[in-house]
Amino acid sequence: MSSAELAALTPLVYVIGLAIALVVVDMVRPGDDRLVGILAGVGLLIGMGVVWLAGANGATQEVFGGAYRLDPLTTFLDTLFLVVAFLTILFTPDYLRPRGYPLAEYAATLLFAISGAMLIAGATDLLVLFLGLELLVLPGYMLTAYAKRDGLATEGAIKYFLLGSFSSAIFLFGLAFTWGYTGTTSVAGVAHRLEQVVTGQQPIAAGLLMGLALLTAGVAFKIAAVPFHYWTPDAYQGSPTPVTGYLSVGPKIAAFALILRLFAEALAPLKADWVAVVAVLAVLTMTLGNLVALTQDNIKRMLAYSSIAHTGYILVGLAAFAGAPPGSEAAKEGIASVLFYAAAYAFMNLGAFAVVAALQGRPGVTSQIATFAGLGRRAPLAGALMLLFLLSLTGIPPTAGFFAKAYVIAAALASGGLVPWLAVIVVINAAIAAFYYLRVGVVMYMQDVPSGAQPVTNSLPMRLGLVVAAVGTVLIGLVPGLLLPMAQAAAAAIL
Amino acid sequence: MSGLPILSLVIFTPLAGALLLAFVPRDRVALLRWLALGTAVLTFAWTLLMVAGFNDATPDRGGFRFVEAASWIPAFGIQYKVGVDGISLLMVLLTTLLTAVSILASFGPIKERVKEYMISFLVLEVGMVGVFLALDTFLFYVFWEVVLVPMYLIIGIWGGPNRIYATIKFVLYTLIGSLLMLVAILGTAFVFASGHGGDWTGAFDYEQLRGFGFSEGVQLAAFLAFFLAFAIKVPMFPFHTWLPDAHVEAPTAGSVILAGVLLKLGGYGFIRFSLPLFPQASHDLAVPIIVLSLIAIVYGAIVALVQPDLKKLIAYSSVSHMGFVTLGIFVFQQQALQGAVLQMVNHGLITGALFLLVGVIYERTHDRTIAKMGGLMGTLPVYAVVFGFFMLASIGLPGLSGFVGEFMVFLGTFAISPVYAAVAVLVMTIGAAYLLWLFQRMFTGDLSDFLRGLGHHLTDMDHTEILTLAPLAALVVVFGVVPGLLLGVLQAPTDAVLAGLHSAGQALGGLP
Repeated sequence: MSSAELAALTPLVYVIGLAIALVVVDMVRPGDDRLVGILAGVGLLIGMGVVWLAGANGATQEVFGGAYRLDPLTTFLDTLFLVVAFLTILFTPDYLRPRGYPLAEYAATLLFAISGAMLIAGATDLLVLFLGLELLVLPGYMLTAYAKRDGLATEGAIKYFLLGSFSSAIFLFGLAFTWGYTGTTSVAGVAHRLEQVVTGQQPIAAGLLMGLALLTAGVAFKIAAVPFHYWTPDAYQGSPTPVTGYLSVGPKIAAFALILRLFAEALAPLKADWVAVVAVLAVLTMTLGNLVALTQDNIKRMLAYSSIAHTGYILVGLAAFAGAPPGSEAAKEGIASVLFYAAAYAFMNLGAFAVVAALQGRPGVTSQIATFAGLGRRAPLAGALMLLFLLSLTGIPPTAGFFAKAYVIAAALASGGLVPWLAVIVVINAAIAAFYYLRVGVVMYMQDVPSGAQPVTNSLPMRLGLVVAAVGTVLIGLVPGLLLPMAQAAAAAIL
Repeated sequence: MSGLPILSLVIFTPLAGALLLAFVPRDRVALLRWLALGTAVLTFAWTLLMVAGFNDATPDRGGFRFVEAASWIPAFGIQYKVGVDGISLLMVLLTTLLTAVSILASFGPIKERVKEYMISFLVLEVGMVGVFLALDTFLFYVFWEVVLVPMYLIIGIWGGPNRIYATIKFVLYTLIGSLLMLVAILGTAFVFASGHGGDWTGAFDYEQLRGFGFSEGVQLAAFLAFFLAFAIKVPMFPFHTWLPDAHVEAPTAGSVILAGVLLKLGGYGFIRFSLPLFPQASHDLAVPIIVLSLIAIVYGAIVALVQPDLKKLIAYSSVSHMGFVTLGIFVFQQQALQGAVLQMVNHGLITGALFLLVGVIYERTHDRTIAKMGGLMGTLPVYAVVFGFFMLASIGLPGLSGFVGEFMVFLGTFAISPVYAAVAVLVMTIGAAYLLWLFQRMFTGDLSDFLRGLGHHLTDMDHTEILTLAPLAALVVVFGVVPGLLLGVLQAPTDAVLAGLHSAGQALGGLP
């Protein structure tokens, strides 16, 4: 193994090492949450540096005979995953401490999950993709059930585990079909064989289409696309609030990373066959997510359905890629809009969940939207930040959510076939979504403070995390040019 | 002042003021109020400086002055580009004046959460001024949406009993329109970029888009999307139903800005974007839009006649008056177009003043039911005179500014179609009827039992209230007597709009 190959693996190895270090520290000094928190936070910041150093030259480096690849897409996604982990770690202590759960196992489990996500980001072999996927989701089940004395958490975790394993099996079955009909597990190899199928040098087998269908269903479960979304609201509602924030962002973006490696890279030659499926999934996911979110009284369930709707918006970006001619500028913008949206979504959605968590500083506080009553008056800063995140989720300028949505719409308009019509469906959905996001604004600003309202926690990590999320949300919206070239470079890497 | 980025100063001074206010402790109410007023007055002063230098500044090829351009999102050629011509000059002047007046008028009525209120108002001003000055369609959209959030808060927090329904309705109506406009903005940019070999440079630049010449299908689709956004804002019949709710529930100053400026965003959008960018579609759809305008004029006036609530009456009268604006725009005629712009300015001044006057009586009675009023002339003579003055201006008394705009719209419409002009003129009598009848019911006769019951609380206007109305009254007289002041700056931009329209197609045909 050459030194360049080792360097390419450094980010992944580093994060696994950090997770192990956390476990070791917990053995040496049990129960020292403060030390664990600082180690995890600082360690993740250094990790971002490592990712950037490894990917600084923007070149592509293959490892393990082409099973893993470091390219600008890997670097973009790795950075995003580390940001997600960093914010999640900052938001967690205020929630776990009063409930008597330790931070060390939590942080280590989270980092193992993140290493799975990073493995997906660089996987260029079907088996490695699956390995990464399992490494991602298994710790996720544990995190969901982390509040183990809570009945709802256990219920959510079991549902998540059963449907998650089920979908993994379906996905694996799809991989087996693909391998069987192409004779290779390498992403490039599959793409090459499918290219031959499309150009007519080989017949298209029914089994291959079967595999495609199974793969689509499998990933649709993972990103919680309608009609494969049923596990989401229960898992989200039952999980500890910071975990919910993580679940709504981390595994979702990782699943999109998998989609990019699998669909946009390996199955790209067949995209004329799957574009319609993605478009239909996008429409169903946006519309149903938003319509059901309208009726929710529980903020975590509402944000769960809203995250389903955001999955739909991201799928529009994927459809824009699939509808555009291969290798065209429009195809690149489609991928780039998926990545840009994912980054914007990470900041605004984690921020919104963080404010929810900050309101739950004492055990036993419900997640009813009513707990937000008068927040704008009793905690003006927390109220203003929540309003900012909600406006960003709605897509009001000048926030990250606005430009992300505009980018997805622009990509859809530039694409071919019926995909431009998705732009209209996106904006109709954005208007529907405005209703339930603004309803929280109404509760925060236009209702009186109830007696016995819960105080908002304001520990240093929580404040720091909220500042990072808010700055990210505003900065990406005001100066999209900071992120745009990176997303475009990452997109160009897989075309 | 050649080196001064005057337009950016006008746009961002309120933002700086809002940020400053954020750091003032919330219990320093007086300081908050005066800082907000100071910011608004400073912004108005910048505007006056802009007006003073307007004639000496050299216009660019598109006729815009003080143009500032900087790259914002280079990958898509999106710029921060602002510039001013005669139309936007008047609109910005109206906006900054009404904002300062509104903030002053809020000193008394707004006692709770002053900090948030003042910040909302200043952010609102950023959005409104930005919309009038933006010369990049993407930037225009950003400012357009920035307006939405503070108004949502102003109606929802400081509004009347039914404020939450009203504010959600306002936001949803506006969003549905504006989001489709976003699709159209991105769509036109994409068509432009495809026409230039995939190069996005200038794809959002207003002046380049104006000369691009979109195909008829693109024009029609984009025109309809823009139309929905602007028609809801104006509001045109049948998109007006959010307006009475929003007006009735909004606090006084919110109503002033809503009627005085926000409705103009729609009219301005038609003149600035719809007509120049999509001339062919404008021609094709002019007749239905004229008919909708006439319906709005008649319908607004008739419905105003029967309103029991003072604010609702004025709200419906706005629907009628703004009908003249859209009528004036879509007959594609020089006088009518200039009249439409004048009508927007005058409606802003007069209706803004009328809402302030409603606020005056509401502060004392906490009621706006017309039937409970009566005989105010004896007790509140100053109020009666001021109300009478603005009422006459609203009716369109020659010599006051309300007359000029409507008259020019008639004149222009008559040249195109006598029948349409006749319909519009007839409605003026209904307009006179509802306002005169309102005046009679409120001010003449004996003092009503309800008002008698208020005793010494029923005082005449105080100095602050007179101070807020004085500049509006002065401008109503000045613009009424010397409309040439305004018409001078309108000649060039209206010429440009009409030239673009006539080169695109034949004159309006087939009108009765």
